[in-house]
Amino acid sequence: MNKVSIATEAPPKAKTSLFPRHRELILKGNYAAAEAAKLCRVGFVPAYPITPQTSIVERIAEMTAKGEMGATYINMDSEHSVFAAAMGAAIAGERVFTATAGQGLFYAHEVLHAIAHFRLPVVMCNVGRPSIPWNIWSDQSDSLSQRDTGWIQLYGESSQEVLDSLIQAYMLAERVHIPVMVVLDAFYQSHTSENTWVPDQDLVDEFLPPPAFQTGEATAANQHLAFGGLIPPEHYFKFNYSFWKAIQEVEEEAETVAEAFGKQFGRTYHNVEAINIGPQTKVVLVTMSSIATTARGVVQHHPEVGLLKLRLFRPFPSRAILDAFAQLSPDTRIACIERNFLGDREGGVMQEMRRALYGNPFPMRDFYAGLGGKDVPPSTIEKIIHLAKEGKEDVYWVDFE
Amino acid sequence: MLEIRGHARGGQGMVTAFEIMAKILSAFGDFRVQAFPAFGVERTGAPIQAFLRAGRKEILNRSNIYQPNLVVVFDEGLLGQVQVMDGLQPGGAVLINTDRSPADFSEYAFPVYTIPATRISLLHGLGSRSLPIVNAAMIGALARILHLDPQAMQEIIREYAPAKPAENAASAFQAFGMAARSEGGKETLRQLLWASPSSNGTEIPAFAAWEEKAPPEGVPDIPAWFKPLSVNKTGNWRVMTPVYADRTPPCNARCPAGTDVRGFVKLATQHKFQEAYETILAHNPFPGVCGRVCPHFCEQHCNRNALDGSVNIGAIERFLADQTRDNTPAPVPIAFAPRIAVIGAGPAGLTAALRLRQKGYAVKVFEALPQAGGMMRTGIPRFRLPDDVLDQEIQRILDQGVELELNRKVRLSELATSYSAVITAIGSHVGMELGIQGNAEAVKEGIGFLSQFKLKGQTAGVRKGDAVAVVGGGNTAIDVSRTLLRLGAIPTIYYRRTLQEMPAIAQEVEEARTEGVHLELLTAPVGVRETPERKIALTLIRMELGEPDASGRRKPAPIAGSEYVIEVDHLITAIGQRPDAYALSGSEFTIRQGLVGKDGELPVFCAGDMAWGGTVAEAIGSGNKAAEEVHAYFQEMPYSHEEHLPNVVLPKDINLNYYLPVARHASIVRHPKELYGDFTEVNQGLKSGAILSETARCLHCGDCFSCGNCFNYCPDAAIHVDEEGRLRIDYDYCKGCGICVNECPCSAIQVDIAELVR
Repeated sequence: MNKVSIATEAPPKAKTSLFPRHRELILKGNYAAAEAAKLCRVGFVPAYPITPQTSIVERIAEMTAKGEMGATYINMDSEHSVFAAAMGAAIAGERVFTATAGQGLFYAHEVLHAIAHFRLPVVMCNVGRPSIPWNIWSDQSDSLSQRDTGWIQLYGESSQEVLDSLIQAYMLAERVHIPVMVVLDAFYQSHTSENTWVPDQDLVDEFLPPPAFQTGEATAANQHLAFGGLIPPEHYFKFNYSFWKAIQEVEEEAETVAEAFGKQFGRTYHNVEAINIGPQTKVVLVTMSSIATTARGVVQHHPEVGLLKLRLFRPFPSRAILDAFAQLSPDTRIACIERNFLGDREGGVMQEMRRALYGNPFPMRDFYAGLGGKDVPPSTIEKIIHLAKEGKEDVYWVDFE
Repeated sequence: MLEIRGHARGGQGMVTAFEIMAKILSAFGDFRVQAFPAFGVERTGAPIQAFLRAGRKEILNRSNIYQPNLVVVFDEGLLGQVQVMDGLQPGGAVLINTDRSPADFSEYAFPVYTIPATRISLLHGLGSRSLPIVNAAMIGALARILHLDPQAMQEIIREYAPAKPAENAASAFQAFGMAARSEGGKETLRQLLWASPSSNGTEIPAFAAWEEKAPPEGVPDIPAWFKPLSVNKTGNWRVMTPVYADRTPPCNARCPAGTDVRGFVKLATQHKFQEAYETILAHNPFPGVCGRVCPHFCEQHCNRNALDGSVNIGAIERFLADQTRDNTPAPVPIAFAPRIAVIGAGPAGLTAALRLRQKGYAVKVFEALPQAGGMMRTGIPRFRLPDDVLDQEIQRILDQGVELELNRKVRLSELATSYSAVITAIGSHVGMELGIQGNAEAVKEGIGFLSQFKLKGQTAGVRKGDAVAVVGGGNTAIDVSRTLLRLGAIPTIYYRRTLQEMPAIAQEVEEARTEGVHLELLTAPVGVRETPERKIALTLIRMELGEPDASGRRKPAPIAGSEYVIEVDHLITAIGQRPDAYALSGSEFTIRQGLVGKDGELPVFCAGDMAWGGTVAEAIGSGNKAAEEVHAYFQEMPYSHEEHLPNVVLPKDINLNYYLPVARHASIVRHPKELYGDFTEVNQGLKSGAILSETARCLHCGDCFSCGNCFNYCPDAAIHVDEEGRLRIDYDYCKGCGICVNECPCSAIQVDIAELVR
């Protein structure tokens, strides 16, 4: 037996700072979300724990208990109550945050509609997991099945993107009066610790002014108003029309907010991200969240393969996609990667892509991969590229080995 | 880029370790890091994996690590259960938490690093008894392998450890210095970590041509487990093993006679009075006496004191002794040649004599007084210990073959010719004198007063109506005063400290006060003289308590100028006793327990009050030990005076929440209106109904009483009741979670370290 030699590498050196007025921390996705809620000076957090989201609200509870975060934190009896409380606080004018996952989101379904159609700028985090068969691992079936509730949906790829998207989400929600759901993948994101640049509080305050309403101050809460009364047929459509007008502004508003964010923080985001998409491209992989990272690595080895990462999913960014695909040759294969199953032949990504690309000639392929936390390693992406090029079917389940 | 895969069990802290390792690397330089777990079922003990990527390039892969450069094994037991080495890359290595040396892993084709992380973690008190948290030590070993700076490592651990930051940092630092590596083999871990950002990262393994596979057949509509759950044996998840233990309860540990208190109380609970009585007799031939006069060290340390008062063990002992008496075994045949003489027929001498006679030695006891019993006879008044109780227990000893000669004051020199060894147990019958100025002749001495009264009915001139000052705070002072009351005198106790410091048995003090004994506290005599009226003038001085002395009691100090004088008819002192060393006169022995030397050829042993102690129970214990030592002496066996400290169940080990409060059944005490001439027993003990409900108050410290808590709480149904009604753990299914250890009310389940060290 040998003792290991004692020599060590040089002691820690001063680190290069990528972004001024930021600190580099090693954060898991869930802690990045909690950090963002604090930076946005959220005033009210109703919560109910559920794996794999729990560590978000756990961290917020800890920060509020220690006085590091000036919010009121309430542990509710269920997700239905969580969102009801969020709705009430938002009506009163408070900046609200909460987080849930899987069954919790399904249970809140009814109230999600109410929050959106009351036009309340609530922001939440959903850490995706499926429902039945019982499973706690990564899957987007929960959030994609809520796509018709009226919430804006942003999907993040890294701890950094979750943190940054949440800051943008408040600005967006408060500009268009529509709630925003920021979605991250279970474990591959929620529990992955990685380099994250956390902006200083004053940098965030300059971008996102603290809410006018602060906990303890009297505003709407002191006025005696009733909300949510019965709307007869002759008025009902007017509210929907108004929402319809607003939702069509969101694609552009989201870009505007992202651009402002880029100027303030030095990190640029778009509704979609197009990598290596041009006349030479034979296959475009369409994906969201953590699978996008691995796909980025794989396409570096494939000059003929492009990648379209969807960041905004609701409203679906059709204009941005059409712009990104403007140069594609008509026989380019569009390969959608699905980490969801919505009870139909095609998955959620394919359904939406078909709608966006209606009238375009691109052959489309759908790939179910990584359901219920199944890992999507580089070899699976390679398999998808291979099938997109050579395969005859239009829908594949690539995890059968 | 460097890719590390870890294998551990849920609860060992691997996920946190990898997160902290990522933070250490990030603090150390411009590294991109990624640390994440692959949870299986979320339960303590289940095998889990975690992953760590680090390099100087952006990490474009969020999938699990299938081809690691370094494999880290947190639990050696996983080596046989999980394919930990799968996919390990050329140039890689493996780090194993083990007490073994790297040479023991020569079957591996890779360099092997070892670290005794479990041992280090236990040393630093990390984790629980059922699951030591080994992660800090594993970080230390990793930092050593990657040549990271140990100071920076400790800083990060201190900042981010979820608990015990200093202990975790120290554990990691110790592990940093203890990592060992196998001979030979090359690894390139550091090169991979430090590879420049411009160099190519890990190559994506070539994709093998894909053939379309048929979808799986026979998948049921509903996920279901068609085999019985018993097929899923989870015992191999276990890191440490709970076992039913028999720990020493405080009552047993504290009994100077060595009585199995918990044992006899348990038998009494089951109505097995004869067995319970014999359990006491195994250590103590005087249960009737001890049940009445012992200060009950067992009760003083009873863990039930923390709930609602100790079990009334004295009353139970007395009840058993009074219930069951006529089963005396016949004398055993004499088996050994040496003849043993015992000087003194007190509790120590008689106990030693009985034990040696039971072993097969011929034993004779010589007693100077006309009656046997020693201090039990002379020093304890009849109203506390009736003569018949003492007579019967002594007779029981004589019936077993011990010879007794009364009125015989022997010296060692007389015994040398007829005996092979002598045990001297002459007690401590001489009262100490009061060291004060004045006419000492008027002062009477308490232990002599009690003895003269009991043996001869002499009252030392005390008459009805006399005022008597009694100086002292021990049992003698109390017994003298209560005897005086029954003689019609008016006693007052003068004691230099307070009630709290009084060495007398609290219950006796209480009874004395109820009977009418007056106590003057914080006062001490300084002078005495006889007045012309043939009275005694006693000068006293007021005292105050200062700092604690060697005994832990606060030391009294006189208050200057506070002297005062009282006049009484008699003054009796009770301030301590010493042995009358006539038996040893002419010899130069240092008196202590056991063999003290030889008088010519005759080995001499000491026991009882003259050696140590001062209570009946201590004298009995002393007699037991002396007999063992004499036996060892003649059989040429080793004998040690060293006390073996048992693993005693302390109050903190008891889950009092699992016991219903039940008030202690206090013994019935007789308080007649007229005490004059009444020497019948004051304390009446308890009746059988109360005895049974009092035995049921025992907490069963350290002894499973089949409450079923473990059975109810075991999350894996790994505990069952066997044919004999005992709770048993099925180790095929026990995952070692430790819930049973925590929820056992009486600390009768412990974690077995043996399997841990394996």
